[in-house]
Amino acid sequence: MTSAASLSTRPLNVTLFAGLLVLAALVMIWLGTMAAGYYVPASALLVEAALLWRGQGRKLFEAVLAVNQAAGLLMILDLWLGDGLGDLKLDISGVLLLANLAFGGPLLSLLALPLLALLRFGQATPAWFARA
Amino acid sequence: MTARKSRPLIALLLAGIALPAAAASFTGKVILPDGKPAFGAMVTVFDASRQVRETVYTAQDGSYAISTPFEGALAVRARLAGLDDATTKVTATKTQRATLNLALKPFADAQSASDALSASAFNARLPWKDVNRDRPGFISQCNYCHQLGNATTRVPRSHEEWMGELAKMEGLLAMPSAREKQVFAEVLSKGFDGKPITANQNYGASAELARAKLVEWNVGDDYTFIHDADVGADQKLYGTDEGHDVLWVLDRATSMIERYPLPESKLPRGGKFSGMKLPIGVFTGKHGPHSMAQTSDGRIWITNALSSTLMSFDPKTKAFKTYPVGHDALYPHTIRVDRHDIVWFTIVASNQIARFDPKTEQMTVIRLPSNGFIRWTSDMLFPTLMRIGSWLPDQAAQLNLSTHRFFGSSILAFPYGIDVNPVDGSIWYAKLYASKIGRIDPVTLKVQEWDTPMKGPRRPRFDAHGIFWIPAFDEGGLMRFDPATQKFESFKIPAVGKGEYETPYALNVDKASGEIWLAANNSDRMLRFDPKTHGFMTYPSPTRVTVLRDFSFTKDGQVCTSSSNLPSYAIEGGRGGFLCLDPAGGEADRKALGVRQ
Repeated sequence: MTSAASLSTRPLNVTLFAGLLVLAALVMIWLGTMAAGYYVPASALLVEAALLWRGQGRKLFEAVLAVNQAAGLLMILDLWLGDGLGDLKLDISGVLLLANLAFGGPLLSLLALPLLALLRFGQATPAWFARA
Repeated sequence: MTARKSRPLIALLLAGIALPAAAASFTGKVILPDGKPAFGAMVTVFDASRQVRETVYTAQDGSYAISTPFEGALAVRARLAGLDDATTKVTATKTQRATLNLALKPFADAQSASDALSASAFNARLPWKDVNRDRPGFISQCNYCHQLGNATTRVPRSHEEWMGELAKMEGLLAMPSAREKQVFAEVLSKGFDGKPITANQNYGASAELARAKLVEWNVGDDYTFIHDADVGADQKLYGTDEGHDVLWVLDRATSMIERYPLPESKLPRGGKFSGMKLPIGVFTGKHGPHSMAQTSDGRIWITNALSSTLMSFDPKTKAFKTYPVGHDALYPHTIRVDRHDIVWFTIVASNQIARFDPKTEQMTVIRLPSNGFIRWTSDMLFPTLMRIGSWLPDQAAQLNLSTHRFFGSSILAFPYGIDVNPVDGSIWYAKLYASKIGRIDPVTLKVQEWDTPMKGPRRPRFDAHGIFWIPAFDEGGLMRFDPATQKFESFKIPAVGKGEYETPYALNVDKASGEIWLAANNSDRMLRFDPKTHGFMTYPSPTRVTVLRDFSFTKDGQVCTSSSNLPSYAIEGGRGGFLCLDPAGGEADRKALGVRQ
């Protein structure tokens, strides 16, 4: 078992996902040079990368992932099944799309599932956050 | 009848001979500067209000004959590509006839000669670094609903100013990518420098051309935008004014024009597109009436692009009725009626086709194949993005999230034109941006699609034998598709000058002759294609900046359409409107006035 005390070096998973988060942020920054709205998810991705790299603020880190996932999933459900909502349907999907983007956007949605799994079922990543 | 010179440089040989006739009529000859007859020159008579004008084309001997219903202070003009106009003013009564001989002169200077050229001469000279890579996107997005190269749009601007113009167009629904905007701005800033150009444009005079007659009616004001014109069962012309939420009705026999405002909508200005820059071009209303088709009960069905509604208009009671489309539909577009009186229309921005049964008032919306992951994403999210934009009207804020900035117009499939196959009743459509055509089984609603060999299939039509004729806007071509063999055949549209290209927006097939009439919106002309000889014939427009939309036919053999460049004030004379070409109208006038060709 990996204990917080014994975790002096950054786990491979953390290094890998922090790198992927930075890479995703760079993609979003590049998109932002053409459509400025993408700077918002880029910022969220950089914050997430920093939190993960430093192993600090697990609650915030996890909350961003959770909101990102929830907003994305609810938006899909609303667009798929929401015709009965009438005009409200697109207002709801609009709010959810903006929430998804503010909390990291579509690339974080892809990374969120393995990250949440690592936090819930892994050992090294929770230990990395618990280290401090 | 009296006449006087209107311009000192115009050599006008006028013999005022008052002869009894059924209308104010003119006969005579048009000559070239060397005294030889001018073949294919356009002789236009303007009515006293300058709101209606009639044009005939000179024969090989330079002769013409035109009979008009006009009276009062008229204007007469002869025009031929490459030469300066010959104009005069004439005071006439309806029952008088005069001989007017008109002499065309060379232009006084290079600037005048350049100013008389069509937009196609100017945009053909744009300095593309990679014409094959970059020009198709330019044609698709910058020639989309107006000419780029006419006097209004070729104003010299710096790169920065062109970037501003492109950003403005983006706010009005154009979809150039960020890279395309840079390329277009560079090319336009270098290419449109204000210096006169020279071009030898040939519109192809012919004996057939000399048989024709064209009538044009100005309608509305300089922001009027009659998107489509359609001939009603009563043989009147109906026009949907997308600029003002108005339905215009023209009685061709009397030139009387009636105006019917569409009913008020609860939506904000711009309708579902209120998040774009307002007004969206000249679209000052909420409904944005776009296209029309008539059912056998006489009702005219109108697609309202901005409010995403279907609307009926009863020509007898003048009553409108509105039907919401629902299903996140964005921009209902071209509309047709099948043999069972079912109304079908494309919904361009949400990649759908709607089926509406006027008897049961049931609306069925069919989602078309997305044609790839990027377009699927757009299909899913584009309506949501437009809704986000509507929270901040007039800001076009949603563009800051739109993926067109990366991928250009390819983010949308854009089902555009639609028609009914007369052989089996199936519904066929063209996807402008995805370059596909598709078939919908009218019973099972099963969809099948084909890639088109030329890019930009826009507003296609069937002939009487079930052959699908498709204008290829982005590549200046005409495509023929036989549903039985599933084979395409392509024809390149001849340009009027070296290096020029054509932008065929729409077409219709004369069911009796099988001939295809096409819009040629880059060079101010209408085309007629003979499917037997594969030959194109040109009918030059007497009005500079002629952008034509859907064509329809009258019972007496005329082909009618709307003149609807965006904006109307860029059209010579400052107005758009209706126009009808009678392929045998000039010949009829010759016979009536006793002039042989």
